[in-house]
Amino acid sequence: MILIELGTYFARLSLLTFGGLSAVVPDMQRYIVDVKGWTSATDFMRLFAVAQAAPGPNVLITSLIGYRVAGVAGSLVALFALCVPPAALTWVVSALWERFRDSPWRGAIQRALAPLVVGLTFAAGYVIATPHAPDWRLWLIALATAAVMLRTRVNPLWLLAGGAVLGGLLI
Amino acid sequence: MTAIGENDSVRAVNWERGTPITTPPRSLAELFLGFLSIGARSFGGVLPAAHYVMVERRHWLTPADFTETIGLCQALPGPNVGNAAIVLGKRWFGLSGAIVAFLGLFALPYLWVLALALVYTHWAARPLVSAVVTGVGASAAGLLVATAVKLGRPMARKPAGVALMAGCFVAVAIGRMPLPVVMPIALSVGIALSRGGLL
Repeated sequence: MILIELGTYFARLSLLTFGGLSAVVPDMQRYIVDVKGWTSATDFMRLFAVAQAAPGPNVLITSLIGYRVAGVAGSLVALFALCVPPAALTWVVSALWERFRDSPWRGAIQRALAPLVVGLTFAAGYVIATPHAPDWRLWLIALATAAVMLRTRVNPLWLLAGGAVLGGLLI
Repeated sequence: MTAIGENDSVRAVNWERGTPITTPPRSLAELFLGFLSIGARSFGGVLPAAHYVMVERRHWLTPADFTETIGLCQALPGPNVGNAAIVLGKRWFGLSGAIVAFLGLFALPYLWVLALALVYTHWAARPLVSAVVTGVGASAAGLLVATAVKLGRPMARKPAGVALMAGCFVAVAIGRMPLPVVMPIALSVGIALSRGGLL
């Protein structure tokens, strides 16, 4: 049953979403496209684009994938599967967090997670911009966006709009 | 209306004098509406919207309390502001508060993203539409790269950090290894390096 598969996968993945959703985007693409073949890599990229153009927490990409795979029920199952396990964990840990304020392990884990999250976020950018063989047009748009984002304080929505224009012209 | 307006101006004065008087939500309805407006304002980023609504506008939290709460939520898996909804809803109203805050945050963005998906599916067959959406996708990938660069700058001087970062990238992006395999290994290595003073 596809809803159960979807729910189990996202629930398991949810506990790895350190630093937000970006870190698990490559694995989502691997599972949805390579393992299950529920959609193509290009379609995955476009769903990611739609999710970015919407307001709200970027975990909503999961409800788009769920919707593509199994309709409205799929969208709710995917979203809740991704959100409820971390929420339960947060519920429990928020009571303990203060107690471990000075524990050396807390600092060690936070310092260890930082390079992981950075490496995985780079990986997310790479797999989204490279749905098949490397395409200079997609890389050009991605790198131009990254450069502007790093040099200015413009709202990211304007950068996505720029990507839309470049996409219309180049692709 | 007048009473509310006066109340707001009193809050604002106290705020500017630097005495952080907070007024946590008094009802579940107020909590729901607050998180609903965070969701509605979150075009281009949820965190700034959460700060605006909870700290600047409604004075639910002091800036320091906000930073501390987000810090906890960033250290845990899950959507940061989604986790903050759980922590704060629980603090103010227990389990029902956590659920109400969480649903308030997601309600409008969920409907919006679903509506966008329907529109996109309807028009997807047109070449121009698919080219434009592909361009947005490439641009969104660029935003991820920029975020990674920003987050990665502080560790650029630490060779062990750079190596761990590169290892994760290669394993996941090029090697296509499953994250449930990569994450525990990388985290163990990271903790060992960190305990050894290398991170």
